[in-house]
Amino acid sequence: MNIQIENLSFRYPNGVLALRRVSLEIAPGEQVAVIGQNGAGKTTLVKHLNGLLLPTEGRVRIGDWDTRHYSVAKLARRVGYVFQNPDEQLFTKTVAEEIAFGPRNLGYPGERIQELVEDALQLTQLQAMRNTNPYDLSPTWRKMVAIASILAMDTPILVFDEPTTGQDAASVTRLAMIIAELKRRGKTVITITHDIDFCAENFARVIVMGGGQVLLDGPARTVLGKAEILAQTYVDPPQITRLGLRLGLAEVVCTPQEFLDAFEKQCAA
Amino acid sequence: MHERLSFYVKRESALHQLNPLTKLTLVFGLILPAFLVPFYWTPHLLLLLVVFPLAFLGKVQGEYFTAVTKLILPAAGFLFVMQALFIPGGETVLAKLWFLTLTQESLMYAFANAVRIFVMVSSFTLFMLTTHPSELMSDLTQRGLPGQFAYVIIATLQIIPQMQAKASTIIAAQRSRGLDTESSFARRVQALVPLVGPLVFGSLVEVEERAIAIEARGFTSRRPKTSLREIYDRPLDKGLRWLLILIMLASLVSRIWFS
Ligand SMILES: Nc1ncnc2c1ncn2[C@@H]1O[C@H](COP(=O)(O)OP(=O)(O)OP(=O)(O)O)[C@@H](O)[C@H]1O
Ligand SMILES: [Mg+2]
Repeated sequence: MNIQIENLSFRYPNGVLALRRVSLEIAPGEQVAVIGQNGAGKTTLVKHLNGLLLPTEGRVRIGDWDTRHYSVAKLARRVGYVFQNPDEQLFTKTVAEEIAFGPRNLGYPGERIQELVEDALQLTQLQAMRNTNPYDLSPTWRKMVAIASILAMDTPILVFDEPTTGQDAASVTRLAMIIAELKRRGKTVITITHDIDFCAENFARVIVMGGGQVLLDGPARTVLGKAEILAQTYVDPPQITRLGLRLGLAEVVCTPQEFLDAFEKQCAA
Repeated sequence: MHERLSFYVKRESALHQLNPLTKLTLVFGLILPAFLVPFYWTPHLLLLLVVFPLAFLGKVQGEYFTAVTKLILPAAGFLFVMQALFIPGGETVLAKLWFLTLTQESLMYAFANAVRIFVMVSSFTLFMLTTHPSELMSDLTQRGLPGQFAYVIIATLQIIPQMQAKASTIIAAQRSRGLDTESSFARRVQALVPLVGPLVFGSLVEVEERAIAIEARGFTSRRPKTSLREIYDRPLDKGLRWLLILIMLASLVSRIWFS
Protein backbone atom coordinates (compact mmCIF):
# COMPACT_ATOMS: atom_id res chain seq x y z
CA MET A 1 0.00 0.00 0.00
CA ASN A 2 1.64 3.25 -0.99
CA ILE A 3 1.71 6.52 0.86
CA GLN A 4 1.30 9.81 -0.90
CA ILE A 5 1.90 13.12 0.80
CA GLU A 6 1.23 16.17 -1.33
CA ASN A 7 2.18 19.68 -0.32
CA LEU A 8 1.44 19.00 3.31
CA SER A 9 1.52 21.96 5.66
CA PHE A 10 0.46 21.79 9.27
CA ARG A 11 -0.07 24.46 11.86
CA TYR A 12 -0.73 23.65 15.53
CA PRO A 13 -3.59 25.54 17.20
CA ASN A 14 -1.03 27.63 19.10
CA GLY A 15 0.28 28.98 15.80
CA VAL A 16 3.46 26.91 15.37
CA LEU A 17 3.90 26.01 11.72
CA ALA A 18 5.36 22.53 12.16
CA LEU A 19 5.33 21.34 8.54
CA ARG A 20 5.90 23.42 5.42
CA ARG A 21 4.87 22.03 2.06
CA VAL A 22 6.15 18.51 2.51
CA SER A 23 5.74 16.16 -0.43
CA LEU A 24 6.73 12.52 -0.23
CA GLU A 25 5.92 9.23 -1.79
CA ILE A 26 6.60 5.95 -0.04
CA ALA A 27 6.22 2.74 -2.00
CA PRO A 28 4.86 -0.50 -0.53
CA GLY A 29 7.49 -2.47 1.37
CA GLU A 30 9.96 0.38 1.82
CA GLN A 31 11.99 0.75 5.02
CA VAL A 32 12.31 4.43 5.78
CA ALA A 33 14.09 6.23 8.61
CA VAL A 34 13.15 9.80 9.50
CA ILE A 35 15.86 11.81 11.24
CA GLY A 36 16.47 15.43 12.20
CA GLN A 37 16.91 17.70 15.20
CA ASN A 38 14.38 18.07 18.01
CA GLY A 39 11.33 19.99 16.87
CA ALA A 40 12.07 19.33 13.19
CA GLY A 41 8.52 18.08 12.68
CA LYS A 42 9.13 14.32 12.51
CA THR A 43 6.41 13.32 14.93
CA THR A 44 4.03 15.84 13.39
CA LEU A 45 4.66 14.29 9.98
CA VAL A 46 4.05 10.69 10.98
CA LYS A 47 0.95 11.58 13.00
CA HIS A 48 -0.57 12.51 9.65
CA LEU A 49 -0.20 8.95 8.41
CA ASN A 50 -2.97 7.53 10.58
CA GLY A 51 -5.09 10.65 10.82
CA LEU A 52 -4.13 11.70 14.35
CA LEU A 53 -3.43 15.05 12.73
CA LEU A 54 -5.15 16.31 9.62
CA PRO A 55 -3.44 18.56 7.07
CA THR A 56 -3.91 22.31 7.42
CA GLU A 57 -3.09 22.36 3.74
CA GLY A 58 -2.32 19.65 1.24
CA ARG A 59 -3.25 16.01 1.29
CA VAL A 60 -2.20 12.66 2.70
CA ARG A 61 -3.29 9.45 1.06
CA ILE A 62 -2.85 5.92 2.35
CA GLY A 63 -3.54 3.69 -0.62
CA ASP A 64 -6.79 5.06 -2.02
CA TRP A 65 -7.89 6.62 1.30
CA ASP A 66 -7.60 10.35 1.87
CA THR A 67 -6.95 10.64 5.63
CA ARG A 68 -9.43 13.50 5.91
CA HIS A 69 -12.31 11.17 5.13
CA TYR A 70 -11.46 8.33 7.52
CA SER A 71 -11.40 8.16 11.31
CA VAL A 72 -8.26 7.16 13.18
CA ALA A 73 -9.94 3.91 14.21
CA LYS A 74 -10.60 3.13 10.52
CA LEU A 75 -7.12 4.08 9.42
CA ALA A 76 -5.77 1.70 12.09
CA ARG A 77 -6.51 -1.08 9.61
CA ARG A 78 -3.85 0.27 7.31
CA VAL A 79 -1.36 2.03 9.56
CA GLY A 80 -0.07 0.74 12.89
CA TYR A 81 1.48 3.45 15.04
CA VAL A 82 3.74 2.68 18.00
CA PHE A 83 3.82 5.59 20.43
CA GLN A 84 6.97 6.59 22.22
CA ASN A 85 5.77 5.85 25.74
CA PRO A 86 4.28 2.37 26.24
CA ASP A 87 2.73 3.41 29.56
CA GLU A 88 0.26 5.52 27.65
CA GLN A 89 -1.50 2.50 26.22
CA LEU A 90 -1.09 -0.53 28.48
CA PHE A 91 -4.19 -1.38 30.48
CA THR A 92 -4.87 -5.12 30.60
CA LYS A 93 -3.85 -7.71 33.17
CA THR A 94 -1.73 -9.85 30.88
CA VAL A 95 0.63 -9.31 27.99
CA ALA A 96 -1.38 -11.61 25.72
CA GLU A 97 -4.64 -9.70 26.34
CA GLU A 98 -2.89 -6.43 25.67
CA ILE A 99 -1.67 -7.71 22.32
CA ALA A 100 -5.12 -9.02 21.41
CA PHE A 101 -6.77 -5.63 21.98
CA GLY A 102 -5.82 -4.13 18.60
CA PRO A 103 -6.79 -7.06 16.36
CA ARG A 104 -10.04 -7.44 18.31
CA ASN A 105 -10.89 -3.79 17.65
CA LEU A 106 -10.26 -4.39 13.98
CA GLY A 107 -12.85 -7.16 14.09
CA TYR A 108 -10.66 -10.09 13.02
CA PRO A 109 -12.16 -13.54 13.66
CA GLY A 110 -11.14 -15.27 16.91
CA GLU A 111 -8.83 -17.81 15.33
CA ARG A 112 -6.98 -15.17 13.37
CA ILE A 113 -6.53 -13.12 16.54
CA GLN A 114 -4.96 -16.14 18.25
CA GLU A 115 -2.53 -16.58 15.37
CA LEU A 116 -1.63 -12.91 15.26
CA VAL A 117 -1.03 -12.79 19.01
CA GLU A 118 1.22 -15.87 18.86
CA ASP A 119 3.14 -14.41 15.98
CA ALA A 120 3.61 -11.05 17.70
CA LEU A 121 4.72 -12.76 20.93
CA GLN A 122 7.27 -14.74 19.02
CA LEU A 123 8.58 -11.77 17.01
CA THR A 124 9.13 -9.73 20.15
CA GLN A 125 10.41 -12.73 22.17
CA LEU A 126 7.70 -12.25 24.74
CA GLN A 127 6.38 -15.83 24.79
CA ALA A 128 7.58 -16.57 28.31
CA MET A 129 5.89 -13.42 29.59
CA ARG A 130 2.51 -13.92 27.96
CA ASN A 131 0.63 -14.19 31.25
CA THR A 132 2.59 -11.53 33.10
CA ASN A 133 1.04 -8.18 33.96
CA PRO A 134 2.71 -5.63 31.64
CA TYR A 135 3.37 -3.33 34.60
CA ASP A 136 5.49 -6.05 36.24
CA LEU A 137 7.88 -5.93 33.28
CA SER A 138 10.88 -3.63 32.93
CA PRO A 139 10.43 -0.53 30.74
CA THR A 140 12.35 -2.17 27.89
CA TRP A 141 10.00 -5.14 27.86
CA ARG A 142 6.95 -2.90 28.27
CA LYS A 143 8.09 -1.23 25.08
CA MET A 144 8.17 -4.67 23.42
CA VAL A 145 4.60 -5.28 24.58
CA ALA A 146 3.55 -2.00 22.99
CA ILE A 147 5.30 -2.96 19.75
CA ALA A 148 3.78 -6.45 19.80
CA SER A 149 0.33 -4.97 20.31
CA ILE A 150 0.73 -3.04 17.06
CA LEU A 151 2.43 -5.87 15.14
CA ALA A 152 -0.58 -8.07 15.91
CA MET A 153 -2.84 -5.67 14.01
CA ASP A 154 -1.14 -6.93 10.85
CA THR A 155 -1.26 -3.59 9.06
CA PRO A 156 0.56 -3.11 5.76
CA ILE A 157 2.22 0.02 7.14
CA LEU A 158 3.97 0.42 10.50
CA VAL A 159 5.16 3.63 12.12
CA PHE A 160 7.58 3.69 15.05
CA ASP A 161 8.25 6.93 16.92
CA GLU A 162 11.73 6.72 18.46
CA PRO A 163 11.64 3.00 19.26
CA THR A 164 15.30 2.87 20.34
CA THR A 165 15.23 5.74 22.83
CA GLY A 166 15.98 4.45 26.31
CA GLN A 167 16.42 0.86 25.14
CA ASP A 168 19.36 -1.39 26.01
CA ALA A 169 21.58 -3.04 23.40
CA ALA A 170 19.66 -6.33 23.53
CA SER A 171 16.41 -4.51 22.90
CA VAL A 172 17.86 -2.53 19.99
CA THR A 173 19.09 -5.76 18.41
CA ARG A 174 15.64 -7.26 18.88
CA LEU A 175 14.12 -4.23 17.18
CA ALA A 176 16.51 -4.57 14.25
CA MET A 177 15.42 -8.20 13.87
CA ILE A 178 11.76 -7.23 13.96
CA ILE A 179 12.29 -4.62 11.27
CA ALA A 180 14.20 -7.10 9.11
CA GLU A 181 11.36 -9.61 9.46
CA LEU A 182 8.77 -6.95 8.58
CA LYS A 183 10.80 -6.13 5.49
CA ARG A 184 10.85 -9.82 4.54
CA ARG A 185 7.05 -9.84 4.83
CA GLY A 186 6.77 -6.86 2.52
CA LYS A 187 5.52 -4.35 5.10
CA THR A 188 6.24 -0.65 4.90
CA VAL A 189 8.17 0.52 7.96
CA ILE A 190 8.63 4.18 8.86
CA THR A 191 10.80 4.84 11.89
CA ILE A 192 11.75 8.08 13.58
CA THR A 193 15.10 7.78 15.28
CA HIS A 194 17.86 9.81 16.85
CA ASP A 195 20.17 6.78 16.78
CA ILE A 196 22.12 7.37 13.63
CA ASP A 197 23.88 3.97 13.70
CA PHE A 198 20.53 2.22 14.03
CA CYS A 199 19.33 4.28 11.09
CA ALA A 200 22.38 3.49 8.93
CA GLU A 201 22.29 -0.23 9.64
CA ASN A 202 18.60 -0.93 9.17
CA PHE A 203 17.10 1.42 6.63
CA ALA A 204 17.57 1.63 2.90
CA ARG A 205 15.98 5.06 2.63
CA VAL A 206 16.53 8.05 4.90
CA ILE A 207 14.48 11.23 5.13
CA VAL A 208 16.16 14.15 6.86
CA MET A 209 13.94 16.85 8.31
CA GLY A 210 14.73 20.33 9.58
CA GLY A 211 12.48 23.29 10.32
CA GLY A 212 9.35 21.51 9.13
CA GLN A 213 10.78 20.68 5.75
CA VAL A 214 12.38 17.68 4.09
CA LEU A 215 16.06 18.59 3.68
CA LEU A 216 17.22 15.31 2.18
CA ASP A 217 15.50 12.18 0.96
CA GLY A 218 17.15 9.22 -0.70
CA PRO A 219 19.17 6.05 -0.27
CA ALA A 220 20.94 5.94 3.11
CA ARG A 221 24.34 5.94 1.48
CA THR A 222 23.70 9.12 -0.50
CA VAL A 223 21.99 10.96 2.34
CA LEU A 224 24.40 10.07 5.16
CA GLY A 225 27.37 11.21 3.08
CA LYS A 226 26.10 14.81 2.93
CA ALA A 227 27.66 16.00 6.13
CA GLU A 228 27.08 19.73 5.50
CA ILE A 229 23.34 19.48 4.97
CA LEU A 230 23.01 17.05 7.89
CA ALA A 231 24.82 19.58 10.07
CA GLN A 232 22.03 22.08 9.36
CA THR A 233 19.69 19.90 11.37
CA TYR A 234 22.37 18.91 13.92
CA VAL A 235 22.86 15.37 12.69
CA ASP A 236 26.32 13.79 12.52
CA PRO A 237 26.82 11.00 9.99
CA PRO A 238 27.58 7.64 11.66
CA GLN A 239 31.15 7.29 12.94
CA ILE A 240 31.97 4.62 10.41
CA THR A 241 30.73 6.88 7.58
CA ARG A 242 32.85 9.76 8.85
CA LEU A 243 35.88 7.49 9.08
CA GLY A 244 35.29 6.38 5.50
CA LEU A 245 34.98 9.99 4.35
CA ARG A 246 38.18 10.94 6.19
CA LEU A 247 40.07 8.06 4.61
CA GLY A 248 38.79 9.18 1.23
CA LEU A 249 37.08 5.89 0.36
CA ALA A 250 35.57 5.88 -3.11
CA GLU A 251 32.04 5.22 -1.85
CA VAL A 252 30.08 6.36 1.21
CA VAL A 253 29.77 3.52 3.73
CA CYS A 254 27.07 3.08 6.38
CA THR A 255 27.98 -0.10 8.23
CA PRO A 256 31.22 -1.68 9.45
CA GLN A 257 30.87 -4.44 6.86
CA GLU A 258 30.53 -1.94 4.03
CA PHE A 259 33.55 -0.12 5.40
CA LEU A 260 35.67 -3.27 5.40
CA ASP A 261 34.63 -4.14 1.86
CA ALA A 262 35.34 -0.66 0.55
CA PHE A 263 38.62 -0.50 2.46
CA GLU A 264 39.82 -3.82 1.03
CA LYS A 265 38.90 -2.70 -2.46
CA GLN A 266 40.84 0.51 -1.93
CA CYS A 267 43.91 -1.35 -0.65
CA ALA A 268 43.81 -3.84 -3.52
CA ALA A 269 43.65 -1.05 -6.07
CA MET B 1 6.76 17.08 25.98
CA HIS B 2 5.28 19.99 24.08
CA GLU B 3 2.07 19.97 26.03
CA ARG B 4 1.35 22.74 28.44
CA LEU B 5 2.16 21.59 31.92
CA SER B 6 0.30 24.37 33.68
CA PHE B 7 -2.26 27.03 32.86
CA TYR B 8 0.50 29.62 32.74
CA VAL B 9 0.63 31.80 29.63
CA LYS B 10 3.93 33.52 29.03
CA ARG B 11 3.41 37.21 28.23
CA GLU B 12 4.94 40.54 29.11
CA SER B 13 2.52 42.39 31.32
CA ALA B 14 2.27 44.37 34.51
CA LEU B 15 0.49 41.46 36.14
CA HIS B 16 3.14 38.97 35.07
CA GLN B 17 5.82 41.18 36.59
CA LEU B 18 4.24 41.29 40.01
CA ASN B 19 5.81 39.14 42.66
CA PRO B 20 3.95 35.81 43.00
CA LEU B 21 3.15 36.42 46.64
CA THR B 22 1.66 39.80 45.76
CA LYS B 23 -0.61 38.11 43.24
CA LEU B 24 -1.58 35.46 45.75
CA THR B 25 -2.42 38.21 48.24
CA LEU B 26 -4.42 39.92 45.50
CA VAL B 27 -6.47 36.74 45.05
CA PHE B 28 -7.48 36.81 48.68
CA GLY B 29 -7.77 40.59 48.61
CA LEU B 30 -10.55 40.06 46.07
CA ILE B 31 -12.23 37.04 47.59
CA LEU B 32 -12.52 38.29 51.17
CA PRO B 33 -14.30 41.60 50.34
CA ALA B 34 -16.55 39.80 47.86
CA PHE B 35 -17.73 37.49 50.61
CA LEU B 36 -17.56 39.72 53.65
CA VAL B 37 -18.52 43.30 52.85
CA PRO B 38 -22.22 43.68 53.70
CA PHE B 39 -22.93 46.17 50.86
CA TYR B 40 -25.00 44.15 48.38
CA TRP B 41 -23.31 45.15 45.13
CA THR B 42 -19.70 44.56 46.32
CA PRO B 43 -19.02 41.33 44.40
CA HIS B 44 -20.67 42.70 41.24
CA LEU B 45 -18.62 45.88 41.34
CA LEU B 46 -15.42 43.96 42.08
CA LEU B 47 -16.05 41.76 39.09
CA LEU B 48 -16.74 44.58 36.66
CA LEU B 49 -14.30 47.15 37.95
CA VAL B 50 -11.39 45.01 39.13
CA VAL B 51 -11.42 41.43 37.86
CA PHE B 52 -12.26 42.13 34.20
CA PRO B 53 -9.78 45.02 33.88
CA LEU B 54 -7.12 42.83 35.53
CA ALA B 55 -7.57 40.26 32.77
CA PHE B 56 -6.75 42.96 30.23
CA LEU B 57 -3.91 44.33 32.35
CA GLY B 58 -2.41 40.84 32.40
CA LYS B 59 -2.94 40.50 28.62
CA VAL B 60 -4.66 37.16 29.18
CA GLN B 61 -8.20 38.33 28.36
CA GLY B 62 -8.52 35.75 25.54
CA GLU B 63 -7.64 32.80 27.76
CA TYR B 64 -9.58 34.22 30.68
CA PHE B 65 -12.84 34.77 28.83
CA THR B 66 -12.56 31.31 27.29
CA ALA B 67 -12.36 29.93 30.83
CA VAL B 68 -15.32 32.13 31.77
CA THR B 69 -17.59 30.84 29.03
CA LYS B 70 -16.52 27.22 29.28
CA LEU B 71 -16.25 26.79 33.00
CA ILE B 72 -16.99 29.70 35.30
CA LEU B 73 -20.24 30.94 33.79
CA PRO B 74 -21.88 27.49 33.60
CA ALA B 75 -20.83 26.70 37.19
CA ALA B 76 -21.99 30.03 38.56
CA GLY B 77 -25.20 29.80 36.50
CA PHE B 78 -25.97 26.38 37.91
CA LEU B 79 -25.39 27.62 41.43
CA PHE B 80 -27.63 30.60 40.76
CA VAL B 81 -30.54 28.48 39.55
CA MET B 82 -30.27 26.00 42.39
CA GLN B 83 -30.09 28.64 45.08
CA ALA B 84 -32.81 30.81 43.61
CA LEU B 85 -35.20 27.87 43.53
CA PHE B 86 -34.32 26.04 46.70
CA ILE B 87 -33.46 28.66 49.28
CA PRO B 88 -36.54 29.05 51.43
CA GLY B 89 -37.82 32.37 52.79
CA GLY B 90 -38.62 35.73 51.29
CA GLU B 91 -41.89 37.63 51.15
CA THR B 92 -42.22 38.90 47.62
CA VAL B 93 -43.32 35.88 45.63
CA LEU B 94 -42.54 36.22 41.95
CA ALA B 95 -43.59 32.84 40.65
CA LYS B 96 -44.87 29.51 41.88
CA LEU B 97 -44.02 26.25 40.22
CA TRP B 98 -45.44 23.15 41.80
CA PHE B 99 -43.65 22.97 45.15
CA LEU B 100 -41.04 25.57 44.21
CA THR B 101 -41.50 29.24 45.00
CA LEU B 102 -39.37 31.93 43.51
CA THR B 103 -39.11 34.98 45.72
CA GLN B 104 -37.38 38.23 45.03
CA GLU B 105 -35.25 37.78 48.15
CA SER B 106 -33.94 34.36 47.21
CA LEU B 107 -33.32 35.62 43.69
CA MET B 108 -31.22 38.50 44.96
CA TYR B 109 -29.40 36.28 47.38
CA ALA B 110 -28.62 33.68 44.73
CA PHE B 111 -27.43 36.36 42.33
CA ALA B 112 -24.93 37.78 44.80
CA ASN B 113 -23.70 34.33 45.74
CA ALA B 114 -23.19 33.29 42.15
CA VAL B 115 -21.19 36.44 41.50
CA ARG B 116 -19.11 35.78 44.62
CA ILE B 117 -18.17 32.36 43.27
CA PHE B 118 -17.52 34.00 39.92
CA VAL B 119 -15.09 36.43 41.54
CA MET B 120 -13.37 33.68 43.49
CA VAL B 121 -12.81 31.32 40.59
CA SER B 122 -11.86 34.23 38.33
CA SER B 123 -9.18 35.49 40.69
CA PHE B 124 -7.62 32.05 40.91
CA THR B 125 -7.82 31.66 37.16
CA LEU B 126 -6.09 34.98 36.56
CA PHE B 127 -3.50 34.06 39.13
CA MET B 128 -2.70 30.76 37.46
CA LEU B 129 -2.70 32.28 33.99
CA THR B 130 -0.11 34.88 34.91
CA THR B 131 2.09 33.05 37.43
CA HIS B 132 4.50 30.30 36.55
CA PRO B 133 4.09 27.59 39.21
CA SER B 134 7.85 27.28 39.69
CA GLU B 135 8.10 30.99 40.25
CA LEU B 136 5.50 30.87 42.97
CA MET B 137 7.22 27.95 44.63
CA SER B 138 10.74 29.38 44.50
CA ASP B 139 9.38 32.57 45.97
CA LEU B 140 7.47 30.86 48.77
CA THR B 141 10.32 28.49 49.68
CA GLN B 142 12.74 31.40 49.73
CA ARG B 143 10.39 33.02 52.19
CA GLY B 144 10.67 29.97 54.41
CA LEU B 145 7.85 27.69 53.29
CA PRO B 146 8.93 24.04 53.82
CA GLY B 147 9.69 22.23 50.56
CA GLN B 148 7.09 19.54 51.25
CA PHE B 149 4.32 22.14 51.33
CA ALA B 150 5.62 23.77 48.20
CA TYR B 151 5.60 20.41 46.49
CA VAL B 152 2.04 19.65 47.45
CA ILE B 153 0.84 23.04 46.24
CA ILE B 154 2.68 22.90 42.93
CA ALA B 155 1.58 19.32 42.31
CA THR B 156 -2.03 20.37 42.87
CA LEU B 157 -1.74 23.35 40.56
CA GLN B 158 -0.26 21.23 37.81
CA ILE B 159 -2.31 18.11 38.09
CA ILE B 160 -5.21 19.14 35.90
CA PRO B 161 -3.24 20.28 32.86
CA GLN B 162 -0.92 17.28 33.25
CA MET B 163 -3.81 14.86 33.39
CA GLN B 164 -5.37 16.55 30.38
CA ALA B 165 -2.18 16.23 28.36
CA LYS B 166 -1.77 12.62 29.39
CA ALA B 167 -5.39 11.78 28.66
CA SER B 168 -5.20 13.18 25.16
CA THR B 169 -2.06 11.13 24.39
CA ILE B 170 -3.76 8.01 25.72
CA ILE B 171 -6.83 8.66 23.59
CA ALA B 172 -4.61 9.10 20.55
CA ALA B 173 -2.69 5.90 21.33
CA GLN B 174 -5.82 3.78 21.77
CA ARG B 175 -7.57 5.18 18.71
CA SER B 176 -4.44 4.23 16.79
CA ARG B 177 -5.11 0.69 17.95
CA GLY B 178 -8.53 0.82 16.39
CA LEU B 179 -10.49 1.84 19.49
CA ASP B 180 -13.72 3.46 18.42
CA THR B 181 -14.34 6.47 20.61
CA GLU B 182 -16.54 8.37 18.24
CA SER B 183 -19.62 6.38 17.26
CA SER B 184 -22.43 5.14 19.49
CA PHE B 185 -22.86 5.85 23.19
CA ALA B 186 -22.44 2.16 24.10
CA ARG B 187 -19.13 2.14 22.25
CA ARG B 188 -17.95 5.14 24.14
CA VAL B 189 -18.75 3.58 27.48
CA GLN B 190 -16.88 0.44 26.47
CA ALA B 191 -13.96 2.61 25.47
CA LEU B 192 -13.55 3.93 29.01
CA VAL B 193 -11.53 1.05 30.40
CA PRO B 194 -8.65 1.30 27.90
CA LEU B 195 -8.59 5.04 28.47
CA VAL B 196 -8.82 5.22 32.24
CA GLY B 197 -6.52 2.21 32.82
CA PRO B 198 -3.32 3.78 31.50
CA LEU B 199 -4.21 7.08 33.12
CA VAL B 200 -4.33 5.51 36.57
CA PHE B 201 -1.49 2.98 36.19
CA GLY B 202 0.67 5.50 34.41
CA SER B 203 0.14 8.05 37.16
CA LEU B 204 1.10 5.50 39.81
CA VAL B 205 4.28 4.61 37.97
CA GLU B 206 4.98 8.31 37.62
CA VAL B 207 4.58 8.97 41.34
CA GLU B 208 7.40 6.57 42.09
CA GLU B 209 9.64 8.02 39.40
CA ARG B 210 8.92 11.49 40.64
CA ALA B 211 9.76 10.59 44.22
CA ILE B 212 13.10 9.17 43.11
CA ALA B 213 13.79 12.17 40.89
CA ILE B 214 13.18 14.80 43.56
CA GLU B 215 15.11 12.77 46.09
CA ALA B 216 18.05 12.60 43.68
CA ARG B 217 17.96 16.38 43.47
CA GLY B 218 18.42 16.79 47.18
CA PHE B 219 14.79 17.47 48.05
CA THR B 220 15.22 16.53 51.70
CA SER B 221 18.60 18.20 52.09
CA ARG B 222 18.51 20.76 54.88
CA ARG B 223 21.03 23.17 53.39
CA PRO B 224 19.85 26.42 51.82
CA LYS B 225 19.02 26.00 48.16
CA THR B 226 19.68 28.28 45.25
CA SER B 227 17.20 28.85 42.47
CA LEU B 228 17.55 29.15 38.73
CA ARG B 229 14.79 31.73 38.63
CA GLU B 230 15.37 35.21 39.87
CA ILE B 231 12.27 36.55 41.50
CA TYR B 232 11.77 40.23 41.96
CA ASP B 233 10.09 41.79 44.92
CA ARG B 234 9.88 45.49 44.22
CA PRO B 235 8.84 48.21 46.67
CA LEU B 236 5.63 48.40 44.63
CA ASP B 237 4.95 44.77 45.57
CA LYS B 238 5.47 45.40 49.24
CA GLY B 239 3.21 48.46 49.11
CA LEU B 240 0.50 46.57 47.25
CA ARG B 241 0.57 43.74 49.73
CA TRP B 242 0.13 46.09 52.66
CA LEU B 243 -2.71 47.81 50.90
CA LEU B 244 -4.37 44.47 50.20
CA ILE B 245 -3.98 43.35 53.78
CA LEU B 246 -5.62 46.60 54.89
CA ILE B 247 -8.49 45.95 52.48
CA MET B 248 -8.95 42.46 53.85
CA LEU B 249 -8.93 43.72 57.42
CA ALA B 250 -11.37 46.48 56.52
CA SER B 251 -13.80 44.02 54.97
CA LEU B 252 -13.58 41.83 58.05
CA VAL B 253 -14.24 44.82 60.29
CA SER B 254 -17.13 46.01 58.15
CA ARG B 255 -18.67 42.58 58.44
CA ILE B 256 -18.48 42.53 62.22
CA TRP B 257 -19.50 46.18 62.58
CA PHE B 258 -22.62 46.14 60.47
CA SER B 259 -24.13 42.83 61.50
N1 LIG C 1 0.78 19.64 20.58
C1 LIG C 1 1.53 20.66 20.11
N2 LIG C 1 1.07 21.93 20.20
C2 LIG C 1 1.81 22.94 19.73
N3 LIG C 1 3.01 22.83 19.16
C3 LIG C 1 3.53 21.61 19.03
C4 LIG C 1 2.81 20.45 19.50
N4 LIG C 1 3.56 19.36 19.26
C5 LIG C 1 4.69 19.82 18.65
N5 LIG C 1 4.68 21.15 18.51
C6 LIG C 1 5.72 22.00 17.87
O1 LIG C 1 5.84 21.60 16.52
C7 LIG C 1 7.20 21.52 16.12
C8 LIG C 1 7.51 20.13 15.62
O2 LIG C 1 7.39 19.21 16.68
P1 LIG C 1 7.56 17.64 16.51
O3 LIG C 1 7.10 17.01 17.78
O4 LIG C 1 6.93 17.19 15.26
O5 LIG C 1 9.14 17.52 16.40
P2 LIG C 1 10.04 16.20 16.34
O6 LIG C 1 10.85 16.31 15.10
O7 LIG C 1 9.22 14.98 16.52
O8 LIG C 1 11.00 16.43 17.59
P3 LIG C 1 11.59 15.38 18.66
O9 LIG C 1 12.82 14.81 18.04
O10 LIG C 1 11.92 16.25 19.83
O11 LIG C 1 10.53 14.37 18.96
C9 LIG C 1 8.01 21.95 17.33
O12 LIG C 1 8.31 23.31 17.18
C10 LIG C 1 7.08 21.74 18.49
O13 LIG C 1 7.35 22.65 19.51
MG1 LIG D 1 9.05 13.51 18.10
